[in-house]
Amino acid sequence: MDSCLPLLELKDIIIPTLDKKQIILNQTSFGVEEGSIHAIIGPNGSGKSTLAYTIMGLGNYKPSQGSIIFDGIDITNLNITERANLGITLAWQEPARIEGLSIQRYISLGIKNKTNINEKILEALQIVNLEPEKYINRCIDESLSGGERKRIELAAAIAMRPRLILLDEPDSGLDMIVIEDFLNIFNKIKALDMTILLITHREDIGMVADYGTLIWRGEHLLTDIFPKVMVKYCARAGLKEFCKRTLFDENGECPAFDRDYIDRIFREEGRE
Amino acid sequence: MTNSEYPEDILRSLEDYNINIQDFMPGHGNGAKLLLDFNKIKGLEQVDGVILKGREIENGIVADIIIKEGTKIEDPVHLCFGVNKETGVQEIFPRIIAEDNTEVTLQAHCSFPNANGLIHKMFGHFYVGKNCKFAYNETHYHGERSGAIVAPVAYIYIGEGSIFENNFNLTKGTPGKVKIMIDIYAMKNSVIRSTIRAFGKSKNDSIRIRDSVFLEGENARSIIKMKAAARDGGEVLMYGITEGNAPKCNGHVECNEIVLGKGSICRARPFIRAIDPTSSVSHEASLGRFPQKWLDELQAKGLTEEEATDILIEAMLRET
Repeated sequence: MDSCLPLLELKDIIIPTLDKKQIILNQTSFGVEEGSIHAIIGPNGSGKSTLAYTIMGLGNYKPSQGSIIFDGIDITNLNITERANLGITLAWQEPARIEGLSIQRYISLGIKNKTNINEKILEALQIVNLEPEKYINRCIDESLSGGERKRIELAAAIAMRPRLILLDEPDSGLDMIVIEDFLNIFNKIKALDMTILLITHREDIGMVADYGTLIWRGEHLLTDIFPKVMVKYCARAGLKEFCKRTLFDENGECPAFDRDYIDRIFREEGRE
Repeated sequence: MTNSEYPEDILRSLEDYNINIQDFMPGHGNGAKLLLDFNKIKGLEQVDGVILKGREIENGIVADIIIKEGTKIEDPVHLCFGVNKETGVQEIFPRIIAEDNTEVTLQAHCSFPNANGLIHKMFGHFYVGKNCKFAYNETHYHGERSGAIVAPVAYIYIGEGSIFENNFNLTKGTPGKVKIMIDIYAMKNSVIRSTIRAFGKSKNDSIRIRDSVFLEGENARSIIKMKAAARDGGEVLMYGITEGNAPKCNGHVECNEIVLGKGSICRARPFIRAIDPTSSVSHEASLGRFPQKWLDELQAKGLTEEEATDILIEAMLRET
């Protein structure tokens, strides 16, 4: 990664359980470069969502050690509202459905500059490929499908124009056609100069990322360009064929590293 | 009749509920209407298929509303029971009949903007025939001094195959002492949707609402939604009652109440009963604060916890 200061930096973070008796995420340090898509990957239960909630500042997720630096400011002790006002937001894996709260109102909540607010709301809906006239007056309630609700969540995050969006498992519960569309949306967000920290347990979703961080059973294993992180993940999981199929082109080449790289990493992990 | 002939403060309270004042003024707008100023009938207008009669009595009026068989009207029948006095007694005795195969919406507005000891009572009887679509929307505004004493009672019969929607809103101003009782009797294949919204805002506000549905006919279905908030010592008690007294009937009671500030009290007492093995009646209730996750989601958009709570209350009590 570049040597310039990252937008977000985690320094020796340890995240314990609420009762402090166990450690969810151990001694983690990495940076997220501004303007990038940075994926956090790892199997279910490895502590990825916990990390996202800790960065957002949710009440029950506090590091027992280490610090979180955002744009040069130590935000470790700031609350969720203060962090949001600095330019961080989170799109939830299962966003709430709230009867009576219109999509228009919901998206408007995070828009600080209310000038031309309707145009901003419409634009956000268009970015996530929802027709504004069909959705603007509906509520974020049970009448929306899972995919629609996730798009609304993304639209609300985009409308805020934050500097960093934490996307917690945006792919969960979606079919492949929809996922393809979501990957395009992530690129649109990146083009708007927003940084994405993408939490996913699906390696193929992470392929849209510039950088990656691998978390395995509460341990931070690697932060690097995404293909290298992907190889490490596959080596841990013993998925060599999948790894080659995903990373190599039809000529058996991967621009990120030479052919021997995968074999070497798999050897290191004892997965010949 | 013009706006200037009717108490301005009552009309303004209509605006708070986004209700078009003109709709209530005889000679203006469409639809049948009955307009009261305290215990005087100030306006009464009928339309084809709707018989509307009113008679003044000592402390109020008797009103008869009949929707003739097969009548389907788009414009609501407007009923405005306004009082701009601080004190007094207003008693309303509506007798409402919707004959078979009718479709109608009744929009009632009870506005007591200066109430300070004012008593409003209603004793209503509704009869809805077969295969009707009947909606009854009632909005209340009791001023800002918690000075009203309001006690409406309604007995409602819903005939076979009919759909009945009840929306009661007491979300603006300070309610005062409110005691409401609604009994709905649902016949075969009928559908009942009843939504009650109330907001107690001071220690002088006490709201007790009993909304009951008796599923008396086979395959009758109902849902009661009760939504309330109590702030600064206000008190809300909601009884949501559903009895499944016939085969294959299905009912649900849902109660959500939010407590804001010390001394405020919200209580929910769902009562459900089923006496047939093929019927199903359920309830769910949540009291206290909004789920933390909801607050987190709004706070992640830059709102404080207080602002997020206000937004959620606004959504919960939003009239539909």
